[in-house]
Amino acid sequence: MLVRRLLYLLREAVANVLTNRTTTVVAVATTAFTFACVGVFLLLYVNLKTMASSLEQDIQVMVYLQDDLTEQTRSEIELQLKADRAVGSLIFVSKERALADFQSQFPAESHLLQGLGQNPLPASFVVTLAVESRSSDAMRRWANRAQSIPGVAQVQYNQEWVEALAGIVRYIEVAAIIVGLILSAASVTIIANTIRLALYSRREEIEILGLIGASTTFIRVPYLLEGAALGLLGSALSLVILKAGFELFRHEIRSASRFLGVDALLTFFPFQMCVVLVCVGLFLGCAGSFLSLLRFGEGRA
Amino acid sequence: MVTPVRRLLLSPSMIQLFHVSKYYDRRLALSDVTLEIGKGEFVLLMGPSGAGKSTLLKLLIGAERPEEGQILVQGRSLSKLRPSEIPLLRRKIGVVLQDFRLLPKKTVFDNVSLPLLVQGASTVEIRRKVTDALRSVGLDHKKDLFPPGLSTGEQQRVCIARAIVNGPIVLLADEPTGNLDPELTSEIIELFKSINARGTTIIVATHDPNVLAQVNRRVITLDQGKVVSREQVCS
Repeated sequence: MLVRRLLYLLREAVANVLTNRTTTVVAVATTAFTFACVGVFLLLYVNLKTMASSLEQDIQVMVYLQDDLTEQTRSEIELQLKADRAVGSLIFVSKERALADFQSQFPAESHLLQGLGQNPLPASFVVTLAVESRSSDAMRRWANRAQSIPGVAQVQYNQEWVEALAGIVRYIEVAAIIVGLILSAASVTIIANTIRLALYSRREEIEILGLIGASTTFIRVPYLLEGAALGLLGSALSLVILKAGFELFRHEIRSASRFLGVDALLTFFPFQMCVVLVCVGLFLGCAGSFLSLLRFGEGRA
Repeated sequence: MVTPVRRLLLSPSMIQLFHVSKYYDRRLALSDVTLEIGKGEFVLLMGPSGAGKSTLLKLLIGAERPEEGQILVQGRSLSKLRPSEIPLLRRKIGVVLQDFRLLPKKTVFDNVSLPLLVQGASTVEIRRKVTDALRSVGLDHKKDLFPPGLSTGEQQRVCIARAIVNGPIVLLADEPTGNLDPELTSEIIELFKSINARGTTIIVATHDPNVLAQVNRRVITLDQGKVVSREQVCS
């Protein structure tokens, strides 16, 4: 009994789609394009976030020491730094080692230091912070704290880079939410209008069903199924469009030599997120149908 | 002393209306209508256009609610029905309309099977009941045709088959012969008589004098929303 009714409802949903073929195709295409716009922002957000965390992994904090420190003071500073839970690891770079590194990294400029007579480069600790202390805020707080240790001359890290990137990620996040909400509302409206067209084209049938004792659920289910199918197809198609666009972009990046290595950092949505996006599309489709059914007012006797 | 309302409450009626009034935007459609229709009765609801006949039928299927008064169907008050119970009421009442309201893209069989389908009847039950209903209106040989391929009279008979397929207790017909010539009108009236003979209460709203001439049953006449006569005609 239930199977027969379900089959009937499914058949009706398919009939709805086939009856309004052009409208359905337009609705799926428009929904796919709308979801793809949201997807671009999401993809940008996901990739920048990945890049930001990858950069944070590489960022090291340079703790420069004063020149006139005794060996004991230096050891005390080292012990104090090692005891700090925010510090993951640290390496001591002596004045001599710093000079040798400079000369090996910049051989053409090494003559600049020869004229000074004595080694001007300070000794330092190269500190890698613990994972939980790598955000820009945590880094700033730690740098201020390290700066106040007696014997520390200066604390440096790529503060601007880290903070600028964190700022961009935050902006993208907010933009993705706003654009996502606006375009989701647009998708719901598109699907709602498609369902409304279907409802109007079949209003006589709906009236007849009401007259012969069909329940509200019986009347609504085919349209809810249609909306869900439109949302699902739209979001699935948007993922296909996004994937194609993403691969094209990665190919372009790979062939442009100045972005060497950047393509390896680019990632598409993981499978779980794709499933979530398709489910969101399905949900928005149902919401669109539901809105139309409410406005259409069927089943209210 | 037994008042008319008290008498109605005590009778074994199918349909009872007590002081029912209905307005559409302050325009009176039905005014203080009190009447009773017994089980198995065949009643003609006569009156000119705008007299309130269709409004009365709409009230009986719960498509409209009265502003005043009470309507009982089989002793159950319609004003106490929850919206979810209205479909259950409609499954007990068959409706025949002047414009047939058949689905053009479904076969005669599928059109007639709809009331059974929405109730969740089994395939075997649907086949048996639809065949019986179509046979009783003389259209079992046209079950695979589509409504646009049928004559006007045949379409009305399909509509009647759809209305009686699930064995309703009441059959309401709103101007069922409005689109038919006198010969087809006779056919449809005979069909109603045979359905009534099997125990179904029938209410036919019409302003067609041909129907009145052929039916010879109780006539309730409405005019400007009021009952103006309750003529009892013995057949």
